[in-house]
Amino acid sequence: MMFVHGFGCDQNMWRFVEPTFEKDFRTVLFDQVGAGGSDLGSYDKTKYSTLGGYADDVVEIGHELGLKDAVFVGHSVSAMIGALATLNAPGMFGKLVMIGPSARYIDDGDYVGGFAASQIEELLQFLEANHMGWSAQMAPAIMGNADRPELGEELTNSFCRTDPEIAKAFARVTFTSDNRRDLPKVKVPTLILQCSEDVIAPQTAGDFVRGAIRGSRIVQLEATGHCPNLSAPDEVISAMRTFV
Amino acid sequence: MSATGIHDFEDMFETAPCGYVVLGTNGRVDLVNKTMLGWTGYPADRMVGKRFSDFLNIAGRVFYETHVAPLLRMQGSFNEFAIDVVRADGKSIQMIVNATERRDDAGKLIFVRLTLIKATDRRRYESQLLRARDEATVSLADERETSELREQFIAVLGHDLRNPLASISAGARILGRDAKTERDHQILAMLQSTVVRMAGLIDNVLDFARGRLGGGITLDRNARAPLEPVLHQVIDELRLSSSGREIVEDYSIDVPVNCDRGRIGQLVSNLVGNALTHGASNEPVRVRVATKDGLFRLSVSNKGEPIPAAAIEKLFEPFFRGTVRASRQGLGLGLHIAAQIAKAHEGTLTVTSTADETRFTFEMPLLADRVIE
Repeated sequence: MMFVHGFGCDQNMWRFVEPTFEKDFRTVLFDQVGAGGSDLGSYDKTKYSTLGGYADDVVEIGHELGLKDAVFVGHSVSAMIGALATLNAPGMFGKLVMIGPSARYIDDGDYVGGFAASQIEELLQFLEANHMGWSAQMAPAIMGNADRPELGEELTNSFCRTDPEIAKAFARVTFTSDNRRDLPKVKVPTLILQCSEDVIAPQTAGDFVRGAIRGSRIVQLEATGHCPNLSAPDEVISAMRTFV
Repeated sequence: MSATGIHDFEDMFETAPCGYVVLGTNGRVDLVNKTMLGWTGYPADRMVGKRFSDFLNIAGRVFYETHVAPLLRMQGSFNEFAIDVVRADGKSIQMIVNATERRDDAGKLIFVRLTLIKATDRRRYESQLLRARDEATVSLADERETSELREQFIAVLGHDLRNPLASISAGARILGRDAKTERDHQILAMLQSTVVRMAGLIDNVLDFARGRLGGGITLDRNARAPLEPVLHQVIDELRLSSSGREIVEDYSIDVPVNCDRGRIGQLVSNLVGNALTHGASNEPVRVRVATKDGLFRLSVSNKGEPIPAAAIEKLFEPFFRGTVRASRQGLGLGLHIAAQIAKAHEGTLTVTSTADETRFTFEMPLLADRVIE
């Protein structure tokens, strides 16, 4: 069972969910390039300018570990990364769990992604101009002080460190992505976990994914916000258990 | 306003010099203090019951959901994050926020507390810093590009200036074979003299440009090749082009000198050229070159008016020109470049000037390891 975090965090995202599955599954966790403990030097602007680049990483890890018929659990944008990975490497993943997925964040005609194009532009411009506290989160990675943890303790926030520049690029890729045409090609059984009051991936986004992937199931969570794996892990776990 | 005691905690909450917002388990605003209401212009009933992210701009909303909320859950707190709160009138206030959550013994969330501080000035300062950094990055890239262009320009310029000079020199030499009258010889000697001076000027200008614009003077040291013939040739050219001025050479080089012979030739050319220009025209210029006591010493001396003390200080600065007749004035780079060449050889160039003589001395250490190399 592979757990993949989305924009804004790292594999720590799964700390309340993943341990439950360790008994029955071999679990695989990793930090996307640019997040957490990943090697920032591996960041390649061109490769990661589309979600496909991130999906390639998933497939590469899957090949390395010899994954067959595995369960892919993707949060937020990584739900789409997982969908792409199932298309690129048939047989690697037998089941797909999408937590708070959105095939497209920007409204388009009848499609409601939850954001106007101008809002996404505003977001991306804001990220260009604002560090939003990311500099502090980045400090240990920049200083490379793995051998001097006392320097890291000074930090305001020790989890989910992101390189500000990479975070900006990842935000652009995420919020301008459109995977609506890829979803009908997904053939593996899919479970969608939809939060209440999720401003990032609203109900309409989850319903669209449900309609686009044939045979997929959607479970409505009581949890509010965008990160039920953190705010309501029990709900997430029980929904996943009945699926896998 | 009624007087309040210092232990009036309700007043402390309501009128604290920062905004307080308390969120319930569903992430909605339960409580908000008067300071925050005053800053944002909302009545309490417009804020209570709303999601906190409803009061943020779109970027803040995304940031709150993707960064703040997860970190709060994982760390129990998230400090010093920057957000823009949208006021009732639609304007934004830049704020810095600390957040903590409280859970019961079973780990169930009870509430989240937010402390908000206005940070308009600080954020303006930060954005200025960011802009300055971006500008610096751009101008550094520009500068690098310009500097590369300059380097190329200097190289091409040097080549282009030397080529026609070489043609003039060669042409004059050919004409010299058939020169018949005294006047022919005079004109040809003048031509050669001009060519030598011009070549020296070009070398100095290019070296100066290189030194100032990056690159500096680079050396091509060689300890094996003999130095004397190179110096002799340089001095001979100056002698030929100076219409009969006497230049006395005295060599006593006993050990190999690890130096850039071309550069030392240029140094000698600059010093001798200087002595010919400023020294008494009826007295010889003396060049002494010697290796002794672990030092390579080269001196050029001339008779004539001493250099004023005030001028000596500025002698090695670029564009310094002594008082000579306009036709002999150069750019004032010769001594500057000579000093740079000395420095590049880890040596020194000094000057003494008395009524008896003016003497420039170049000294550099003869290091054994350099000789062997």
